[in-house]
Formats: sequence, C-alpha cells, structure tokens
Amino acid sequence: MSEEEKKFLEIHDLRKSFGTGEAKQDVLRGMDFTVSKGEFCVLLGPSGSGKSTLLNIIGGIDTPDSGYVSINGDKLKDMDEKALTMYRRKHLGYVFQMYNLIPNLNVKENIEVGAYLSDHPLNVDDVISTLGLEDHKYKYPNQLSGGQQQRVSIGRAVVKNPDILMCDEPTGALDYKTSKEILGLIENCNQKFGNTVIMVTHNEAIRYMADHVIKLRDGVVRHNDINDKKIPASELEW
Amino acid sequence: MKNPLIKRIPKELVGDWQKYLVIVVFMVLMIGFVSGMSVGRDSMLAAINTGKITLKLEDGSFEFKNKASEELIGAIEKGDMADVREYLINKGYEEADEEVAKAIDEELEKQVTEGIETAVRAQCEAYGITDEDMIQSQIDTFMEENYEDALEEARNSDEFKEAVSDAYKEAHEEVVKAVDEKWDETVEEYNLDDPDFSPVKVTVYEHFFKNEDEDFDKDGVKDAAVRVFKSTDEVDKASFNEGRAPEKDNEIAIDRMHASNVGIKIGDTILVGGKEFEVVGLLSYINYTSLHENNNDLMFDAFGFNVAMVTPEGFDSLRTRTHYSYAYFYDVKPSGKVAQADYADKFLKALITQSVVFDNDLEDFLPECYRQASNFAPSDVEGDAAGTEILCYILIAVIAFIFAITISNTIDKEASVIGTMRASGYTKGELIFHYLSTPVVVTLIGAAIGNILGYTWFKEVAVNIYFETYSLPNCGVVWSPVALVKTTVIPLSLMFLINLFVIVRKLQLSPLKFLRHDLRRTKRTKARRIPAWSFMNRFRLRILFQNIPNYAILIFGIVFVEVMLCFAFGLPDSLNHYGDRAPDMLFAKYQYMLAGTKDDDGNELVTANEDAEKFNSTSLLYEKNVTSFIKGRGSGGTTEAVTVYGIEDGSKYVVIGAELNDGEVYISSAFKDKFGFDTGDKITLSEEFANKSYEFTVSGIVDYEGGIAVFMPNDNFISVFDKKEGSFTGYFSNEEITDIDEKYIATVIDKDDIVKVTTQLMHSMGGFMVVAQYVLLVLSAALIFLLTKIIIERNEHSISMVKILGFKNSEISALYMIPTAFIVLLFTLLGFGAGYVILIYVFRAFMLQMDGWFTFYMSTKSMAMSIVYMLVGYAAVSVIDFIRIKKIPMDEALKNVE
Repeated sequence: MSEEEKKFLEIHDLRKSFGTGEAKQDVLRGMDFTVSKGEFCVLLGPSGSGKSTLLNIIGGIDTPDSGYVSINGDKLKDMDEKALTMYRRKHLGYVFQMYNLIPNLNVKENIEVGAYLSDHPLNVDDVISTLGLEDHKYKYPNQLSGGQQQRVSIGRAVVKNPDILMCDEPTGALDYKTSKEILGLIENCNQKFGNTVIMVTHNEAIRYMADHVIKLRDGVVRHNDINDKKIPASELEW
Repeated sequence: MKNPLIKRIPKELVGDWQKYLVIVVFMVLMIGFVSGMSVGRDSMLAAINTGKITLKLEDGSFEFKNKASEELIGAIEKGDMADVREYLINKGYEEADEEVAKAIDEELEKQVTEGIETAVRAQCEAYGITDEDMIQSQIDTFMEENYEDALEEARNSDEFKEAVSDAYKEAHEEVVKAVDEKWDETVEEYNLDDPDFSPVKVTVYEHFFKNEDEDFDKDGVKDAAVRVFKSTDEVDKASFNEGRAPEKDNEIAIDRMHASNVGIKIGDTILVGGKEFEVVGLLSYINYTSLHENNNDLMFDAFGFNVAMVTPEGFDSLRTRTHYSYAYFYDVKPSGKVAQADYADKFLKALITQSVVFDNDLEDFLPECYRQASNFAPSDVEGDAAGTEILCYILIAVIAFIFAITISNTIDKEASVIGTMRASGYTKGELIFHYLSTPVVVTLIGAAIGNILGYTWFKEVAVNIYFETYSLPNCGVVWSPVALVKTTVIPLSLMFLINLFVIVRKLQLSPLKFLRHDLRRTKRTKARRIPAWSFMNRFRLRILFQNIPNYAILIFGIVFVEVMLCFAFGLPDSLNHYGDRAPDMLFAKYQYMLAGTKDDDGNELVTANEDAEKFNSTSLLYEKNVTSFIKGRGSGGTTEAVTVYGIEDGSKYVVIGAELNDGEVYISSAFKDKFGFDTGDKITLSEEFANKSYEFTVSGIVDYEGGIAVFMPNDNFISVFDKKEGSFTGYFSNEEITDIDEKYIATVIDKDDIVKVTTQLMHSMGGFMVVAQYVLLVLSAALIFLLTKIIIERNEHSISMVKILGFKNSEISALYMIPTAFIVLLFTLLGFGAGYVILIYVFRAFMLQMDGWFTFYMSTKSMAMSIVYMLVGYAAVSVIDFIRIKKIPMDEALKNVE
C-alpha cells in the first residue's frame, strides 16, 4: 500500500464546539488520525463523544471550527458548497440509523436513487441480490421490516460504488439478529467492492470485525488501534 | 440514467388523486374558459376588422338640419375652412345696403313732400289765400302734377348723390367694424386661427335616416325605436346573417340581435312608423355592432332600439322627418388615435365654417373613433377577455400557493430523506427540480386539456355569448398564438415562480439541519405566549399558529371569493333596484322632445292637454377628472353629457325651491352623487362643438336619479343660452299627448328609456351572474377542501397520537375543525364587508368612465346569500374533514419512531 493510500483519509487537529458563553460545549477537541484506503474503520464511543459530529464533518455536511479533513489529499475546507456536493456525490455513500427511504418509491427505485448519482454505479439487480432483497424489490418501504429497510438504505449507499461508505449507527434501531445480518452485508460490500467503510457505533462488539478501531471520548481520540485479528460479523456476539 | 425521482411524480399524482383531480378540474375550467374567451375574442375582432374594410365602415358622420346643397358638399369634400369673415361682411353689406336704400328713399320722399308743401303755402300766402281747405287742395294738386319730377330732380342732384355715397360708406364701415368685433370672438370660439390647420379631404355620402316607432306585435303600442336607412352599397354596409336585402317598398331587413331579443323572424310583418313591412332579412350593420341609439348612451339597447334597411321608395313612404346625415371617408386614412383626433378636429373646422357660409345648421358630428355603436363591442370583447384572464391568473396564483404550502409540508415531512439525499450528493437544484415537477406537470396537464377544450367547446361558448349580445358580422375561428401563450405560458410561469420561491427558500437549509429535522429559520427560544384559556382552546390556538401560511391562503381565498360573490349577487340586485325605481325617476310619465317649436305652417306646436308643461333643454358637457384604470372604455370620454333644463315657474314636475339668480342652478341628485357636488359648489359646463363654457353655482338638489342634469328657471335659461322669448324644446306631461303630429316629435323619454341600460345589462350578464354564483360556491368549497386537507395531513401524526391517548373522534374533530370554522366564519363576514365596500368603489370608478349614474346595491337577502354560499361550501367540506379525521389510523403515530 502506498503512502497516499495509507493516508487516504486524514483528520488533523479537528475542533468543533456548539453554543456560546457558558453554554459552549466542545464536542471535538483536537482530533488526529488517518484511515487507509479500503479499510473497515469503526469509530467507537459513548453518547456525546463526538463521533456523529466527526462523521458529519468527514461527510462534508458539517464544518469544523479548526483543523481539517483531507480525502485523497484534497482538503474539505478548501471546497465551496458546490464542490462539497460534488465530493459527496462522487465519493460518499451514507447509511443512517433511520433508513430515510423515499416512501413512494419501491425498493428497486430507492436503490436507483443512489445509482443515478454515480458515473460508474454497480448493477442495481446485483446489489439487490447481494442484499437478499430479490423478493421485495417491488415493495414500498412501509411494506418492509426495519432490517429490510436498512438493507435498502445500504443498497442505496453502495450502489453508487462510493470510495467511502459512511455508516452512522446502522444497527441502532435493529434487533440483534438483524443487526448481525446488516453488519455482514456491510462487511460483504467492503470486501466485494473495496470501499473504505467508516462506521460510527457505540456497540463495543462491532470493533472485532473492523480493520481499524478508533475510540473516542469527550471529543478526543483515546485509542487508535489496528485490529490484526478481525472476525467475521456473523461471529460477533453481544 | 434517468433521474429515478421522476418515478415519484406519477405515484404522487395517483396517491393523492382527489386533491390533484380538484386542482386539474379547476385549471381545466379556468384555462379552458380563458382560452375560449381569447380565441372567441380574436375571432370576433378579426371579423370586425375585416368587416370594417369589406363593409365600408365610415370614418365619421355629420348631420345637418337641412339637406346640404351640392355646393356645400363639394366645399366640405375639399376640406377647406370657409372665409366666414368675408361671408359675414358681404351678408352685412347686403343687409346694410337694403336698409340704407330704404332710409334714403324715405328721407328723400319726406324732403320732396315737405319742399312742395312749403312752396305751395308760400304761393298761397302771396295770393292771400288763407282757407286751409283750399291750401290743402292746392298742395294735393301740385303734388299730383309735380311730385315725380321733383323726386327725380332731387335724385339727380349732386348734393343727393354725395349724401347717398356717404351714407353707404358709413354703413359699410359700421358693418366691417361689427363683423371684425364678432370675428375675433368667432375665431377664438372655433379656434379658427390654428396655424397648423391643413385641409382634410374627404368623400361624402348621403346616409339619411328616419327615427320611427316600431310596433312588432301590431297592438298599436310602440315597442321600440327603429332607425331606418336606405339600402346602399357605398358606406356602412350590412352583413346578412339570414335572408336578404329588401327589394320592394314594403320589405324591411332589421338588426338580427334585436330580432332575436324580441322574437321577430323572417317572414313576420311589423309596423314601422305605422306602415306594415315584411321582414325579409336579419342583418348587422358594421356601424351598429352594438345598438347604441345615442352616442352618449351608457349602454346599448338591443331590446328598445333597432336599425333597419328599406328600399329608397320604402324610405320615402315613411312620414317622420328625415335626418340629413352624411357619412364620410378620409381620402388619406389617419393612422393611430392621435392622427384620427387631429383629422377630426381639422375636419370639424371645415364643417362648421362651411355650414355657416352655406346657411345650414350642423346638428351632429361624430368621428368613427368616438362612435360608441361601432367601438363598444370590440372594446367590451377585449375588456372581458382581459378581465377573465386576470381572474384566472389570481386563481392560478391561489392554487400555486396551495401547492407551495403542500410542498412545504412535504419537505418538512421528508426532511430526513432530503437530508440523506443531500448528504449522498444530490444537489439543491436536483431537489428543487424534483419538487417543482408536480405543480408544473399538473399545470401542464390543466393547460393542455384546458386549451383543447378552449379551442373547441369553450370557444363556441364565448362566440355564442358575444353573438347573443352584439350584432357582429359572421366570423370564423382564428387560431391565436397569443391565446396559447396567455393560457399556457403565464399560468405555468406563475406556478413555477411562486413554487420556485417557496422551495428554494425551504431548501436553503444545510443537509445536517434536514437530517436533524431542524427546519426553523429563526431561533425562537421560547414558545409563543398564549392567553390562559382552557386547555382545548389553547390547543386550538396552537393549531392556528402552526398553520399560519395555510390560513393566510385560506383567508385570501375566502376574501377573494366573497368579493366575487358580492359582485355576482350585487350586480343583478343593482340593476333590478335601478329598474324598480325607474318610474319614480321620471319628472313626468312622458317627456316629449320636439324637433322644432313650429309646424310646417309656422304655427307654434301647442297641445290642448292640460297636463302638459313646456320646458327648455340643451345638452352641455362636463369635463370629468378621470384617472381610473378603465379609462377609454365604453363611452370612455373624459366628458359627461349633462342635460340642462329650463323649468317654468311653479312647475308641477320639477320643483326648484328658492328663486334663483342668473348663474344659480339646481342639480340632479345623480349629478351630486356621481361627482360629489354640493350646495355652493361651482360647476363649469361647455358646449360640444364650440369653445363656449358656462359657470353655474349649485343652489340646491333635485331628487332625480335618472340622469346627470342641471335645472334653472326658464327665464334664466332663455337669457343664459340667448334663446328667443317664449322658445321651448318640449313638454312634460303625465298624460300622453296625442294632438301633436309625431313628425314634429324628436323623442319621447319614458320609463323604458330609463331602464334600457339595466334591461340590456341584465340580458347580457344576468344569466352569467347566476352561473358565477354556483361556480363561486364550488370554488369556495374546493379552496377550503384543499387547505383543510393540508392542515389535517400535516397533523396526521398528532391526531393519531391523541387518538391513542384516548380522545374521541368528535373531540379531535372539534380540536382541528373549530379553528378552521372560526377563520372561515370570521373572514367570510370580513370578506363580505370588504367586498361590499370594494364594489361600491369599483362601481363608482367604472361609472365615472361612463355617462349616467347608478350605484351598487345589495338586498338584505343577497347579502345573506353571499355569506351563506361560502358557509354551505364550508359545511360540505367539514363533513369530508370529519371523515378524514375519523379515518386516520392509530398506528400512524407508531409508524415513525424517529
């Protein structure tokens, strides 16, 4: 792996606070780390540790007070709103805790919403097949279970074949079994399509399936570990 | 790859089909109607414009009291001003010479007679004759023998010749002096020294007519006035809609609109001027597309007025006096209104001066550009189309705002989806395009279907409306690209721009704010403080505040519909009210205007009718101070025709209170109301064809709403208008006058003349108003339906939640429907008040443009109905709303646990 690939995502002295005066709350207090290309990186931490804010800043939908995020050498702070939109369009895929599907589009169409954005999208039917949604592809979101909806949401994110797949508590609203299935799918996509995955979670167990684990607390990086003994998602227990 | 979001649009349309169906139906009706009106209008205007050329519409007309000599016509055609000064001097010389000659003869005879008498008396005295009888006998004898010789001798004397010459010279000098003095006044009066004057050459055609009584049911009672023309090919030709031109002297062709209104068909016989004619054709004269009897008439009258064509022999067989009217064409056509006015001004100078030198009286002059009967219809057709377009655009704007609110709510609802999509790289533009698509697609569908209907069915409706109102020439369909723009591009642009504004504003927020559902634009730190009412009322108040934009549109819609309802109920009421009061508006049951005051034998026209009372009248103009938006429409002038009456002392028909000095007058209450005059104010009135004006002081008001009139004692009238002592123009009478030959009667004004305006307006618009009332009922219901639907949909989650909490459907309905009911009721009442006041002002502004006066009136029943219609619309929607609320499932609140 080249140096550039090793520093595919670089976070440097990132700071962010909300509110002013006495109500001021420092959410990120100088964060530094890098993520290599194709890595499955988990950001772990309790509520209020700044992990979602960090993810939003990496995703270009929030801005830091100071410090920078650089992707493949391009610093986000140098991009205007239009460039940021293009950055997200071409390089990022998003999976949220709530699936945020379009209610009056069916499964296939919701996945096409992602495919439309990409210059080199994956085959929609292949993605549906990978996600095990063949039997549901003409159903509307309200006809699906939570797990199925999250699969569609993953499909919508990965179909554009993004460089980085951003996952914000993707299993937060799901039961144990479904959560493992979803994690398995993300793992599968990571391996199959080679996307860099950045997953925010407060579930400690998920760290074992990651290549790279960053533990956050009170807005700083407490541990930055490379996991040499990762295990498949299907073997996770919590 | 095609944007997959496009697939949402048909799903959205199908998913909410009731809402979109209501909107599309409305758009189709509005756009279809406007499109039909536009196509109908363009077809009509094309037919009129073609007709102006093919049917040889005059450039103007004038009327003389007597038939014009060939020399006068020749002079008028050249367009030169006559040398009135020379004419007056020559005429003065002639009269002076005659008087001088007479005076000289008388003086000479006197001197010769006295000379002879003196000589004879001297001789008698010399002979000592003193007897007076003998002296007188000698004088007579001498006078008999020598008078002629003496007279001749005196005439031939140098002394006499010199005296005669001096006398003529002096008289001529006096004439020139008198004419010059008068000439300066005349020049000023007619603006004859205009340095820019140049002759306007014209070709003149005889266009004589007779005003006759029409009795179509032959019951001996006059049914209408008919203006009869001879058939001609030279000017103002007729287009025949049915039948043919008359060929025999007992055949007649009449106006098709009048025929249709009163039920005359080809083959019927009617009495015109007491003579029986067979109707052989139904026509429309190009110079009478609207049947205005007089150019000052507020409204045309296709019931009480008719125009007709007979053969020259048929014309001669009618007994009433001939109006020596002449139509003319300019040899070089003026282009544009300014040039037309300039030509008319110059031509009038020639006409006035030539009529003076040819000793004829100019009775009327009317350039075509000021002619109501040929300009009213095209101007009304254009005005109607413009009016419907504006109404359509207002309603499209309302619908656009409804869409904007719906979309705004959808954006709120889909905030997290939008956030996700923006986070995934969808641009703002793509989302704006997406949310704009539905209103634009719906408008396109509405415009497409509307235009198809407009060009087919509605066009027929519009053409029929106009054909049922005006005597228009036959027309074909004109495909108008302008209509297509107005009915497609403008609604689409309105829809696009209003929604674009709202959506762009809404999507300004960052993706993160969407993901967090934080869509507030302002940071309100505390909840709005509300009064310490009961919980339920505070809840309702919160619902009101939550839906302010919805209610704003609802309020606008309610006020708009109420204003229209006031119009739809108020217009027929105003017309009926005016018609009902018409009999009270007359001074007398009959007002006879005579053509002259003497009959053919020179005897004064008198009546044995004891009820009859002489009056004098003349027509002057009042300069209006108009700035209104409808300037130029209808009679459209900046002047108002005012009838000035001279009333006999102690009149039983018009009561003028106090004794009035010269310059003091009473005015009609209509004059007072229309222009806001009151006692003590000064009014300046001017003559139409002369630069002469009169100033009067208002000393009192005569309660007369039938016209704009001024009253003064007859003696004052005679002195102000320089009339001969004892002159008069007609009779007031409560009994019909039967002992004056009708050929001496110019017009009779009775109740029908007063109500002809309102009768015609009722015929033209009455039916339309009833349709409008029902359309407005549906419109109000549709508006409330759409807006309450949005309010309920927006609150589905909360409604579902309160159901889970144990609220009953009736309680929930009371919570969510009472705020709307309150708003609807409050603003229906306020809207009605606003509509009523607005219409009083609109009527006033409109009437200020027209001649005549009547005010806006609504009966109590109509007032109640205009409120009830809105509430009926609301009541219907309430039932639907209740069902909607009842149908909201409890799991709605459990679906989204975000």
